[in-house]
Amino acid sequence: MNEEQSGGRCAAKASRNSHFLFRILHSAFCVLLLTACSREEPLHHEQFLAFGTLIEITTYSVDDAAAQQASAAIEQDFQRMDRDWHAWRPSALTALNARLAQGQSAPVDAALLDLITRSRKLSLASDGLFDPALGQLFGLWGFQSDEPAGPPPPEQKIKDLLSALPTMADLHITADSVRSDNPQLRLDFGAIAKGYAAQLAIEHLQRLGVHNAIVAAAGDLHVLGRHGARPWHIGIRHPRAPGIIASVDLNSGESISTSGDYERYFTFQGQRYHHLIDPRTGYPAQGTAAVTVIAADGARADAAATALFIAGARDWPRIARAMGVDQVMRIDQQGKVQLTSAMAARVHFEIEPTPISTVIRLP
Amino acid sequence: MTRADWLVLACLLAVQPWLYWHYWRDQGAADSAVITALGQAPQHVSLQHDQLLKVHGPLGDSVLEVQAGRVRFRASPCRGKQCIHSGWLSRAGDFAACLPNRVSVTLVGTVMRYDAINF
Repeated sequence: MNEEQSGGRCAAKASRNSHFLFRILHSAFCVLLLTACSREEPLHHEQFLAFGTLIEITTYSVDDAAAQQASAAIEQDFQRMDRDWHAWRPSALTALNARLAQGQSAPVDAALLDLITRSRKLSLASDGLFDPALGQLFGLWGFQSDEPAGPPPPEQKIKDLLSALPTMADLHITADSVRSDNPQLRLDFGAIAKGYAAQLAIEHLQRLGVHNAIVAAAGDLHVLGRHGARPWHIGIRHPRAPGIIASVDLNSGESISTSGDYERYFTFQGQRYHHLIDPRTGYPAQGTAAVTVIAADGARADAAATALFIAGARDWPRIARAMGVDQVMRIDQQGKVQLTSAMAARVHFEIEPTPISTVIRLP
Repeated sequence: MTRADWLVLACLLAVQPWLYWHYWRDQGAADSAVITALGQAPQHVSLQHDQLLKVHGPLGDSVLEVQAGRVRFRASPCRGKQCIHSGWLSRAGDFAACLPNRVSVTLVGTVMRYDAINF
């Protein structure tokens, strides 16, 4: 308009023509962008059931046949671990527990030995809040079953077991065997095996030539690579409502684990008893609804999510530090959120209004 | 503005509704369900057709109901009935399972908001 008023007709026309050209080019550019967006590499989801839950394998930029083949290999891994490490159906682990109960030294294969060794370290670091030696207590509560039904165990039985307090410190590990000083010790890896297995699965996928994948075992997942130009985008389940409370982008090689009181529980006489048993009291831990941990190591993230859930509002920052995790989100029974600063920097709330949240500095 | 300018403008306005629909529609809407059962290949089911589906598991048959773009566990031979209490699922990523009977259902949409869900 300005040109028309101040300049000659020719200049004005040239300007209008270049405007026109600009718009045409701009439109063409936009269309190009759109087509660039719509050219997607193949994305595959494969699912199967193991460890009493749904395992989901997602691969990006892998062709149909290779994706199915890779997923089948991972399913075999999971079924083997589930069979060998099952805490209540006859397995290599139940056979091991029987020998440990008699005070005998028992041979252990390399795969189980690695899990036992990692569990012992993480358990000691957690002040025993993550205690895979307490299989008997989990069984007493009925959580060593496909369908926990209650009622809660008699108080005296819990007291008796706690007075013996089997811990991972009672376990002596050699290069190929283990022995326990405490006849009450029964190993149960329910609070670590899924996170550990998800990472092993990702490592196996990598050996199969897959570069971009997610292995998700419900509350525990591990990622590799990216979803094309963007990182993998993960939703974290709301502990009290259907849907997602927050989301986070994960970098290649990261694990995320969530422990919630909604995962496994039974209701008895109107009261809900969940599966995260506090070794200090012998009862389900109070005060927390869910804890999410992000770490490079899957076993560490899984065990820490359980330990920090049990630790509660006051103790969790200290235990997080001791267990070597710095990305934590804790949601309490009132729905209030506590986050470490490293977690606050990357998590994005997906609900309105945004929950009341406090950033916690680790000691 | 020349006639050509108006033409470009009209073209852009004409594609606007399509662009809006394509990029801003509810990305969470689900259009199918994936049902898994122990030892069986995952079954893809459209949510467009109302139906009752029997899925066989170790304890017996779980019954899934598809109705008006939603799905739910209507019956299952488990004790706890947690699967039934999950209620209707309607958004992509929603998930329910009858673990005792080893049957699960996950909703998927054309555009998934999340690559995976941490339960």
